[in-house]
Amino acid sequence: MSRSWWGRFCLLLFFIVLSVVYVFPTVSNLDLEKTKFPFKQKINLGLDLQGGLYMVLGVDFNRVFKDTVERKSSQLVARSGEKGIVLTNTKVITEGLPGDDPQISVDFDSAKRASLYDLVKKEFPDLRLVGEKAGQLELGLSHDFRTQVREKTLSQSIEVIRNRIDEFGVSEPSITSQGTDRVVVELPGVKELDRAKNLIGQTAKLEFKIVDAKGMSRTDLAKLIADIEKKNNFSFKEGDRFSDYVRKINDLAKGQIPAGDEISFERHKIAGTETESARTPYLLVSKAEVTGEDLQDAYAARDGETGSRPVTNFQLTPRGAVAFERLTGDHLHEPLAIVLDNVVQSAPIIQSKIPGGRGVITMNRENFESMEKEARDLAVILRAGALPAQLDFLEQRVVGPSLGQDSIHKGALASLIGSVVVFVFVGIYYQVSGLIAVFSLILNVLFVLACLVGLDATLTLPGIAGIALTVGIAVDSNVVIYERIREEIRHGKRFAVAVDAGFQKAFRTILDANVTNAFAAIVLMMFGTGPIKGFAVTLMIGIVTTLFTAVFVCRLVFDLYLHLLENRKAKSISI
Amino acid sequence: MLELIRPGIRIDFVGKRNVLMGISVIAVLATFVLLFTKGLNYGIDFTGGAEVQVHVPAAWDIGQVRDHLEQGGMAGVKVQQIGEAKASQFLIKAQGDEKSLNLISKHVSDILSKSLKSGEFEIQRVDVVGPAAGSSLRTSGFMSMFFALACILIYVWLRFDSRFAPGAVLALFHDTVLTLGVLVITQKQFDLQLLAALLALIGYSNNDTIIVFDRVRETIQSHPELSMEKAVNRAINETLGRTILTSLCTFITVAALWLFGGKVIEDFAFTLMVGIVVGTYSSIFIASSFVIFMSHYLERKDKKAKASGTTKRRRVVMVQPEPKAN
Repeated sequence: MSRSWWGRFCLLLFFIVLSVVYVFPTVSNLDLEKTKFPFKQKINLGLDLQGGLYMVLGVDFNRVFKDTVERKSSQLVARSGEKGIVLTNTKVITEGLPGDDPQISVDFDSAKRASLYDLVKKEFPDLRLVGEKAGQLELGLSHDFRTQVREKTLSQSIEVIRNRIDEFGVSEPSITSQGTDRVVVELPGVKELDRAKNLIGQTAKLEFKIVDAKGMSRTDLAKLIADIEKKNNFSFKEGDRFSDYVRKINDLAKGQIPAGDEISFERHKIAGTETESARTPYLLVSKAEVTGEDLQDAYAARDGETGSRPVTNFQLTPRGAVAFERLTGDHLHEPLAIVLDNVVQSAPIIQSKIPGGRGVITMNRENFESMEKEARDLAVILRAGALPAQLDFLEQRVVGPSLGQDSIHKGALASLIGSVVVFVFVGIYYQVSGLIAVFSLILNVLFVLACLVGLDATLTLPGIAGIALTVGIAVDSNVVIYERIREEIRHGKRFAVAVDAGFQKAFRTILDANVTNAFAAIVLMMFGTGPIKGFAVTLMIGIVTTLFTAVFVCRLVFDLYLHLLENRKAKSISI
Repeated sequence: MLELIRPGIRIDFVGKRNVLMGISVIAVLATFVLLFTKGLNYGIDFTGGAEVQVHVPAAWDIGQVRDHLEQGGMAGVKVQQIGEAKASQFLIKAQGDEKSLNLISKHVSDILSKSLKSGEFEIQRVDVVGPAAGSSLRTSGFMSMFFALACILIYVWLRFDSRFAPGAVLALFHDTVLTLGVLVITQKQFDLQLLAALLALIGYSNNDTIIVFDRVRETIQSHPELSMEKAVNRAINETLGRTILTSLCTFITVAALWLFGGKVIEDFAFTLMVGIVVGTYSSIFIASSFVIFMSHYLERKDKKAKASGTTKRRRVVMVQPEPKAN
């Protein structure tokens, strides 16, 4: 064989070995974690195959904008009052306006017109002037601010939902936005729709609690928990509800910890994942003086004094501010735990009495980046205290694990039967060349599966159908080539020349045909979600691998076949 | 050499084109009438609603399931048995406003757990689509179909020319409509999966058409003496073996899915099967015949323009040069 043939052969061999390595973990029954096999990732199964829950939630923005306008209007009235401008008859109008653009209407003293305009311009850049008539001003939210509110609300909702889903201990939850007003929640393995809905629908609870450092040392506390777990033979496992675990620990620890105290945990996650790496226990004073209901806002910033250290600022409501001042004054230099949904988020030491309801949480990490990240995360979590908007359940789909398992078996079986029938048919029809086609078809399926693993794509039931369909369509490329070769032979060409001409003439046709197929697949990919998207992705991958196997692999084997025929001085080719 | 279609076969497809086109036009019109009278049986993906699939003890029949639901306060729901009788799986379908739909799975499991222990029944699948979500899915679904057709029109136009492109799109339109027609007649539940099947068919059926077109173009080049009718007929005959073989292979794989793939993708596979048959028919009889029609039409227009002395000439339809094969 020629050098170029060996070169192409090595390339193909490389692809085959790579694909086998990628596909092996999925098809093997071995527990690969215990072996030295270099690649361990299995194919991602869609919710329709492994069972799970899929929800689309819609954010009620009309409500969000109405609340925002109401808040702005009370701020405006308050600030005007401080400046000596009296505003009367303040109203929020929604009637006759688009639902997402409510407006404020206020009456003002026309003598103060200039200073009111000045105030709005300087201190309320988020408001836009809609109209003014005879001492009455109409204001709406500015376009930029509304976009900002939309984005903030959506990202907050996702964050809140994510925090709540952690309670569930779901292994690989996916919470993403869809468009500008929807959240898609996918929870593999979860089938309790109502429990999940409760979790996502309920309000988050944020509390500030004092850490009772005098009550018990940290090592004693850890030992106590370990004892309780050992004595009662239980521990927290993924899939359990974390709050159930905490409740059980607290029930069993009663009498062994100071009265009026409770045990709570901080959960550390592996960076970038939802997987828990460690838990730090805290002994807290049960009674929360300040809760999330008293929180107005939180945001990440730089330390006011040095201007370099990332911090998280938070702002409490006036009522909360009073309570917070008393709490911090009474517990100077003690750690204060910020507890969200009964999980400690952080426990900074109170440095000084904090008046005015403004607080700063300083970060305590080894480097700047991680501090900044932590500050931002903490601000998000603080804001995430409660869902920022009412969420409606637009779509809910649950597939039980047994149905999914059944689908895998049936889908795989059907694809196998269909493929084998096609293989036999092609083998009989084209004989030796048919066997070459079968070889390239089998490689095609192998490559599709390897690509699915490599691209981290998801295999769904329609996706399995897509693989079966790929086999059908891939046969087409072989048929086009072979029919061409037969034609050339009929025209009296020598078989080696005929094979060459067949491949060349067929190439353009195959390319054209596959490009149009790809159009449909791309449109499907853009439009589809869930199982449908899985179908489109498989189809698309199939198109690429079909081009490769039909043009490259098939040609390679044919060259070998021609070489063998020439060595045997054969007069005809089996096609 | 095993040959399904003997080489040198010359069936006169083109001569029968008026009859066959007539039949297709009638079929398409009939489908439109059906679409607007009987209508597609839209699934909950597009109308909104709820479906709960339950597995109950084998002793229960459909009447018992219905009675339990009615006694539990769930009147007006449809219950149907799915799969084999011994599987004892039932599908409960309900319509209603967002609030009542939201509670449906809880209702069903509450009702069943009154008379059954927790291991004895299983809620296998729940699908709840709010009315608003349904209508937005319908809009985006049909938009995507339109978009796919537009993309293919542009591609064929660029790759071939103005004689070919309308035929390709007409064939796709024909295939989509007739497949929809079969779905109306069989009253299959039209959901997102079937829409995806239709989109996949648009790609597949066009693939078929393109291969015939490719050969038509080649024949025109190598045999410029042939009339358009003869060239098209020869191209269809020469690709006939390939067309039938490929369609057969694809049909086999899809039929296997239909027979053995289980309830969930049965209708999906069925739609693909229908589409493959219709698509094969259209690439043989419809698409190429329309190419003849278009080329005659353009020629006449050209002549008229010349006769009336207009200097503005129609854009010359040039056939792209084929790379010389050795």
